[in-house]
Amino acid sequence: MTSAIGLNGLQKTYPGSPPVRALRNADLTINDNEFFTLLGPSGCGKTTLLRLMAGFEVPTAGELTLFGDDIAHLPPEKRPINTVFQHYSLFPHMTVLENITFGLKRLRKPDAEAKRVAQEMLDLVHLSDFSARKPDQLSGGQQQRVALARALAPQPRVLLLDEPLSALDLKLRQSMRAELKRLQRDTGITFVFVTHDQEEALAMSDRIAVMSQGEIQQVGDPATIYEFPENRFVAEFIGDADFFEAETLGGTSYKLPNGETITGPQTKAAIGAKVTLFFRPEKATLKRAGNGLSGRVSDILYLGNSTDYVVELVQGGSLTVRSENHKDGTAIAEVGSDVVVEIDPAAVRVLSA
Amino acid sequence: MTQKNDIRWLPGFNWVTLFFFLFLYLPLFILVVFSFNASRSATVWSGFSLEWYVKAFANDDIQRATKNSLIIAVFSTTFATTMATMAALTLSRNRAVKRKNLFGGVLILPLMVPEIVTAVATLTFFSAIGLSLGLGNIIIAHSVFCIPFAYLPIRARLDGMDENLEAAARDLYSNKWATLRLVTLPLLMPGIVSGAMLAFIISLDDFIITLMVAEAGSTTLPIYIYSLVRVGITPEVNAISTVLLGVSVLIVTVSYLVGNKK
Ligand SMILES: Nc1ncnc2c1ncn2[C@@H]1O[C@H](COP(=O)(O)OP(=O)(O)OP(=O)(O)O)[C@@H](O)[C@H]1O
Ligand SMILES: [Mg+2]
Repeated sequence: MTSAIGLNGLQKTYPGSPPVRALRNADLTINDNEFFTLLGPSGCGKTTLLRLMAGFEVPTAGELTLFGDDIAHLPPEKRPINTVFQHYSLFPHMTVLENITFGLKRLRKPDAEAKRVAQEMLDLVHLSDFSARKPDQLSGGQQQRVALARALAPQPRVLLLDEPLSALDLKLRQSMRAELKRLQRDTGITFVFVTHDQEEALAMSDRIAVMSQGEIQQVGDPATIYEFPENRFVAEFIGDADFFEAETLGGTSYKLPNGETITGPQTKAAIGAKVTLFFRPEKATLKRAGNGLSGRVSDILYLGNSTDYVVELVQGGSLTVRSENHKDGTAIAEVGSDVVVEIDPAAVRVLSA
Repeated sequence: MTQKNDIRWLPGFNWVTLFFFLFLYLPLFILVVFSFNASRSATVWSGFSLEWYVKAFANDDIQRATKNSLIIAVFSTTFATTMATMAALTLSRNRAVKRKNLFGGVLILPLMVPEIVTAVATLTFFSAIGLSLGLGNIIIAHSVFCIPFAYLPIRARLDGMDENLEAAARDLYSNKWATLRLVTLPLLMPGIVSGAMLAFIISLDDFIITLMVAEAGSTTLPIYIYSLVRVGITPEVNAISTVLLGVSVLIVTVSYLVGNKK
């Protein structure tokens, strides 16, 4: 697999007092023809990384390559990389068509070719009837698609998208997810997509890099990131998680603070070491009686297709269990019910504490 | 907010407002009305006539002064607007420039300096370096003090413009100059037009500085009007002033409309 974008010890520090270390020492390889997502909370440095790739910022240190060539100090106009901006940033004094042909004309493509490609792009984003309009005569979703068409028209090697869906309403956002995925597959262009919405990241990406405070925490495909997070930040940021502290007893046994033992995965940690165990709320089962951790339901959150039960454990602490609702629509338990939480050892993960 | 607490409902507020409007506009109104007076009197109305306009337009001195004023205004507007545009672009966009606020402040400081001080300073400076270019002296002086006036609307427009538009142009294979030509300047144009018109009016209007630096033969319209008034107010003065007023109002209106364009 060829690498489309490579980061090697890439750093960006914004001057100021104190200086802001927006990106610390990032190492990353983004593959050709990949839908790659940068995911992280606000202020973690996603836009900074994207702007470094686009050429709007110059790195403080480190290497940045595009298909093997060093591009760290190339100006943006010399990079075959295009950007879809968060607020679209369409040229307000140009029509939709002029916006889309802008890059092609700057690349000195003949007029006829520019027209033809622009028409293809308009078809691709279903806006053929809008080519003569000005951006302020379009809805947000339409502007969004013009921005996409404008960035795709020059056929860049890499397309950068900075939270392109964040300004759209839920329904539109969901249909644009599928659309973006389709565009990536049809064009074969490498997409680097920025979002702080974990659901969006899981649904769309081939691979995800989770970022926090200027550092890349973990890189992997959505299932790996969700099922096997490497640290507590990733586990908490992607989906919901139940944590509890335990002590290793060797093999697959762990001792909980109240002396009970539970079974989990094999660990490399030394016997007696403190570890954090966690599981996803939908992987535990709530029962009226049985083997497991007993407790009492203290809160119920009805989610439609499932329900979250917050269980106060007899041993102390609380867990959240997500259960599918009964087929007949009745609840599994009520607030105050005594219940038992059954945790399948296969669902338990160990994080080094 | 209830009506009682609203400042517009304070008793007597309407009358105060009315008084201020009268105070502001009554003199102008009278000036305009009496420019159409049939008799020489500036106080007694005796019928409508365009006589004073005909006389004013036929007056050689007035023609010469008007021509001088226009030449000065056109050149100094061009120069001031160019400088102001470059200053605004640098101070709002160039990341390499430090202390932008300081420079921006210094740039508009002349607005706060009493004009008479600027006038004396300019005169002293010109005579110290022995500058004697006829109209050129006035053009240079006007260019300089018009810069802050032209700068303000241009800077405001630039600050309200999404910087990502320029980033998008760079991203789409335009170098700095192409970005300036294809995106920044077209979008900045309303600000530039607005600034230029403001500079034009200020130059056309200026009296104190012009009086100080004008050499013989460089009489401008405001100075000529002043010389007429010293002899006595004639309806002819009213007529020229009315024309000047009309031009100013027209330009300010256009500038306002263009400046508020999206
Ligand atoms: N031009 C700048 N000068 C100084 N600090 C900056 C600059 N741009 C960003 N920062 C800081 O760098 C850090 C990372 O910012 P960045 O915009 O990359 O975050 P982000 O992950 O894109 O966040 P969001 O999800 O809110 O867009 C933040 O602390 C921000 O305040
Ligand atoms: Mg951002």
